[in-house]
Amino acid sequence: MISALKIFESPSGDPYRNIAAEKHLTEAVGEGEMILFLWQNRRTVVIGKNQNLRAECRVERLLRDGGHPARRLSGGGAVYHDEGNLNVSFIARKPDYDTVRQTNVLLKAVRRLGVPAERTGRNDLTAEGRKFSGHAYYEKGSHACHHACVMMAVDEEALSRYLTVSSDKLASHGVPSVRSRVVNLRDYVPDIRRETLSLAIREAAEEEYGLKAAAGDPFVWQEETVQKDAAWLASEAWLYGRNIPFTADYETRFSWGSLRLQVQVNEGRIRDVICYSDVMDEDFPAAVQACLQGVPFDSVAVSSCLLAMDGSPERQTAARELADYLRKQLAE
Amino acid sequence: MNFPKNLKYTKTHEWVRFEDETTAYVGITDYAQDQLGDLVFVNLPAEGDTLACGEAFADVESVKAVSDVNAPVTGTVAEVNEALADAPEMMNEAPYEAWFVRVEDITDTDDLMDAEEYEEFVKTEG
Repeated sequence: MISALKIFESPSGDPYRNIAAEKHLTEAVGEGEMILFLWQNRRTVVIGKNQNLRAECRVERLLRDGGHPARRLSGGGAVYHDEGNLNVSFIARKPDYDTVRQTNVLLKAVRRLGVPAERTGRNDLTAEGRKFSGHAYYEKGSHACHHACVMMAVDEEALSRYLTVSSDKLASHGVPSVRSRVVNLRDYVPDIRRETLSLAIREAAEEEYGLKAAAGDPFVWQEETVQKDAAWLASEAWLYGRNIPFTADYETRFSWGSLRLQVQVNEGRIRDVICYSDVMDEDFPAAVQACLQGVPFDSVAVSSCLLAMDGSPERQTAARELADYLRKQLAE
Repeated sequence: MNFPKNLKYTKTHEWVRFEDETTAYVGITDYAQDQLGDLVFVNLPAEGDTLACGEAFADVESVKAVSDVNAPVTGTVAEVNEALADAPEMMNEAPYEAWFVRVEDITDTDDLMDAEEYEEFVKTEG
């Protein structure tokens, strides 16, 4: 039985602190409590727990623009967040955790604002067939967390700027993202803001659970575990270092011939390379393979190791052109 | 729902198949996979890792959620089923063949249930 409804509003736009706070609330949720956690991230690509950051997101472009790559603790696919998006987490112990009821809270809230919202499949909310809210879930023993992002006025251009389009160029062993047609709630509620939606969610939750909502203790953000987890969530090891292999496939033509390169990446490094080319210098493909083996899979590391390749002037030219090509592919 | 007699079980829905007193294979039960739905990913530990009874040693992602898999015993990982990582659907199709790890130097086996006890436990939980 849910006997207490608490709402925490995050004061932070930092995805790492927000995900850490969500984890803390999930671990701390008491019996009979339903916690709603409302939060926003500044310019962030959030991938599912079991995805490859580099397969889902143009990381270097995102970082160059001052954005944040983040990996969440729940499953599912990659999404783009900015301040036009509101995240809502429903946190409870198993007996009180009911994804249908929780989704109803969101449905009621946005319908109240005038959105013709529907639940589609298991994980989406749509309006006239276009998705405005995706949901993901994780569980720690009997503690469970269901979160939803709700697109109010997300910069759709940024969304396509940072999320990779699904292509066969990057074949990941991780969980795939499904791209949907999306819509901002602004299309239905022109003056929608965080405050408007938060209030509608609070009222819908009070109605669904028949309880008055109390404000959660803001000191949760000072907790040592939240700070520690935020640092861990922002670490290279968590973002890039997980054991989820993927293959990147490049095919292009240079002045000296065509080249195809397949690299297998795991834990952020190139683990295996296959290079085919019709270049005159027939040992060049083997030299490229040897050169890239074990190198971190980022634009700087890949291009600088190719630029340092020894050999004839022709080989160095070929290596330089390949370095330029890969640097651009990885950085843009 | 299937509860093979030759296995031991936990309240968090893992199974254990003993090879001898201190060596066993570990996986998740038919009930667990049924509750989780279609499994799409598994994070496995590495060979040589230590398992602490009752603590998470792996996790799985289904279309419903990311969930921990707890160690049913204390011990050391002697072998990891890498094939499972490539084909997580094996956990749905044949949960009692889809082992996660082979564990050695096993202790802490007191809380394991036999098939009958586990079947009873699942009934009360459902």
